[in-house]
Amino acid sequence: MSEQTGKQMSKEEKDARFEAELLPVLDPLYNFAYRLTLDEDDANDLVQETYLKAYRFFDYFEQGTNAKAWLFRILKNSFINEFRKKSKQPAKVDYSEVEGYYNSEDVEGESGVASTTDMRTESVQDLIGDEVASALNTLPVDFRTVIILCDLEGFTYEEMAKILDIPIGTVRSRLHRARNSLKEKLEKYAKSMGYNS
Amino acid sequence: METRITDEYQRVSEEGYDTECEKVANMLDMVIDGEASTEEQVYFNNHLEKCVSCFESHQKQKLLKGLVSGHLKRVIVPESLALSIKAKIQETL
Ligand SMILES: [Zn+2]
Repeated sequence: MSEQTGKQMSKEEKDARFEAELLPVLDPLYNFAYRLTLDEDDANDLVQETYLKAYRFFDYFEQGTNAKAWLFRILKNSFINEFRKKSKQPAKVDYSEVEGYYNSEDVEGESGVASTTDMRTESVQDLIGDEVASALNTLPVDFRTVIILCDLEGFTYEEMAKILDIPIGTVRSRLHRARNSLKEKLEKYAKSMGYNS
Repeated sequence: METRITDEYQRVSEEGYDTECEKVANMLDMVIDGEASTEEQVYFNNHLEKCVSCFESHQKQKLLKGLVSGHLKRVIVPESLALSIKAKIQETL
């Protein structure tokens, strides 16, 4: 059926279709790869590999199907099968040292708040972004993955289930555990910044 | 306003609706991810009007999602990447 029509395409037609339908996903795909590997070169390689695989199977790709979810699935599988071993492990951030310092009663919460409000809004935004990134990077890769897919890329639970090849119930529970874990890490940060919640 | 919510919450607690909070807690992620059905959404909203504790959990979970979606910086794709993908594809038969 669709295989037939796919094979009848000329190389030029196929390339044009491939570029038009799959290359627009490059940005989110690269970001996903980067959040998985935590390394720009590895992300680069992983994305190239994903597109080459997708090209090989493009004859089976039906027009109008979810190209983004399909590419994310290929990338995630490549990462697990080949990449995971050689990619760098996430940097372990030791919160205990900072925690000990900021949680001691000698430090007044108010001074922390004052110093944050003095900063320009932009740098506060950067600071939050950096902190979210480093908290996220310390999570196990399965947890990081569901948070990226859901909160950064806006995939539905159903799409996530297809990308990760797990039941929707598992998507839900994994996401819930991942958020609890992220929350825990960020609460430590919030405390260190003088916020109480 | 706040007093009214708290009063309502206490009244409900006395009537033994503890499992309602559990049910709502279980829906929390689905609600913030837009995955809850209309029926679930209504149930959830109604409960939040009378339960300050679930109201706060909802606020916190929304904040957490917002931290990732609104503050996590996107990395910039190297310009060479699209070009090298196109080049490799053209070589592939
Ligand atoms: Zn409640």
